[in-house]
Amino acid sequence: MENKAENPSIPNAEVKGPGKLARMFLTLYDVYKFIARFFKEGFLPPYEAKELFRQCYEIGYRSALLISTTGFITGIVFTKQSRPSLSEFGATSWLPSLVGIALLRTLAPLLTGLIAAGKVGSSIGAELGSMRVTEQIDAMEVSATNPFKFLVSTRVLAATITIPILTFYTAMVGMLGALLNVSLSEGTSARAFFQASLEQITFLDITASTIKAVLFGFTIGMVGCYQGYNSSKGTEGVGKAANSAVVIAMFLIFIEEVVSVQFFGLFRS
Amino acid sequence: MQATDNRKQITVGVFILLGLVIFVLGVFTLGSQRKAFVKSFTVNAVFNDIQGLKAGNNVWFSGVKIGTIKKIQFYGTSQVQVFMNIEEDSHKYIHKNASASISSDGLIGNKIIVITGGSPKFPFVEDGDQLQVASTLSTDDIMKTFQVNNKNLVDVTSDFKVLAGNLVEGKGAVGALLTDEQIAKNFKAIVENLKTTTESTNRMAEQMNTFSKTLNTKGGLADKLMTDTAVFAKLQQAVAELQKTAQSASAMTENLNKATSKFNKTDNAVGLLINDQNTADQVKVIMKNMETSSKKLDENLEALQHNFLLRGFFKKKAKAEAEAASQNIQK
Repeated sequence: MENKAENPSIPNAEVKGPGKLARMFLTLYDVYKFIARFFKEGFLPPYEAKELFRQCYEIGYRSALLISTTGFITGIVFTKQSRPSLSEFGATSWLPSLVGIALLRTLAPLLTGLIAAGKVGSSIGAELGSMRVTEQIDAMEVSATNPFKFLVSTRVLAATITIPILTFYTAMVGMLGALLNVSLSEGTSARAFFQASLEQITFLDITASTIKAVLFGFTIGMVGCYQGYNSSKGTEGVGKAANSAVVIAMFLIFIEEVVSVQFFGLFRS
Repeated sequence: MQATDNRKQITVGVFILLGLVIFVLGVFTLGSQRKAFVKSFTVNAVFNDIQGLKAGNNVWFSGVKIGTIKKIQFYGTSQVQVFMNIEEDSHKYIHKNASASISSDGLIGNKIIVITGGSPKFPFVEDGDQLQVASTLSTDDIMKTFQVNNKNLVDVTSDFKVLAGNLVEGKGAVGALLTDEQIAKNFKAIVENLKTTTESTNRMAEQMNTFSKTLNTKGGLADKLMTDTAVFAKLQQAVAELQKTAQSASAMTENLNKATSKFNKTDNAVGLLINDQNTADQVKVIMKNMETSSKKLDENLEALQHNFLLRGFFKKKAKAEAEAASQNIQK
């Protein structure tokens, strides 16, 4: 929009070459502005507490069962699939330790992030997109309600709060799944399992996982809201917003995972 | 509407609270395992080589985890000082002369510090104390030994290679044994001989067997000797009598001895006769006298034959003798 306003004289042929690059930077600028606006409006009164609770319920509680079930299955499957490799050199006793490291360091936040991106990100994108398409957002602006504060800030905050909580659930349920598998196969007691699985875990691991989960929640909320809030007109725009919210959120989650592994690796040595 | 909203808010509250409870429980479990909330004190030790020990690794005492590595730093020119956080409860078990060594909690496990030894004569360790270091075999040392073994193995196998080559080429006694046909034949002959010898031995053993069986036959001499107690008693008796006889013989020999010893002395008739020169001379004189006497007696008797009183008797006798002689000639 601003691009066109600032450079009305540039013909289309001239924009074609660097246009894509320019559009990318413009999008980045938009995103930056969107994030800055969230921090500006999200933490300033008046607070939309009721809406925040409602979003926490929708994003957190409604996803808990799905994400926990996925975590439980992952715990079982991961343990089951790791056993042959470990038993090859007689190290099945290290299975709890391996599952503990894998789940608490990476799998729990990543799994929660990806499932939430699919479920929450798409629903936020579609909801806000359809609101934009049906001009409800515009109507809110007219009726002196801050649509950004009411729609975006609450959703992003709710995602940022509930995704870490969901991560804790996933980690615990995943460990329970692994415990089930290990106790059925090796007859390990719960106490021995948790002793062994937490042996290699440090506070740094838990802190890193929590920070990652907060980051993932923020990303999911932010991407969903941005895509929905800025969706193009028409019913096509709603689908596109929902789709790109999921794809971009998932992609960013992986990027963040890689970067955070590198970053927290600096503290490990 | 209000009721629904309230229920949702409560659900969200419980949901978040439960999540936080899980988090806090996790942190506390980890904390109790890492002894993070346990009061602790610090001791240190200076190692030449810490073999990859890292901060956060465990410290063991008698196989029990009592703390973690807090800090690692260089010390002096090339040594490494390791600071250990030890939980307060273990304080009363570790003495000042205890020693620290680097070990691992499994063949390929994490490196750990093991505190060992310490005698009750010494006081307990205190915060900031430096423990002495006991050197242990590192993996590198083990590898070095392995390398020596490997070299030896190479030497041995190369020697074997030469040996095997010689064997194949028929060099040396064993090689010849394996390859030379003549030796093989000789060997065969030896085996044949051995076989014959074995057969003979076998036969001999059989004969021995038969012989021993005969010995064992009831009523035989050997069997009686072995089994009949009466025979033994008789034998014993016989031996006893033999002994008695031997004793008598001994006594007799002694008497004889005594008697013969008397022969050597001159205080008796025989001894005098044997040993004394005077007596011998006297006996000689007597003998001479006797000879003379007998000659004279002879002469006297001759004279007597010619005496008229006895002449007839002698003539008759001579006549009878002549007759007897002529009869013998006729026969």
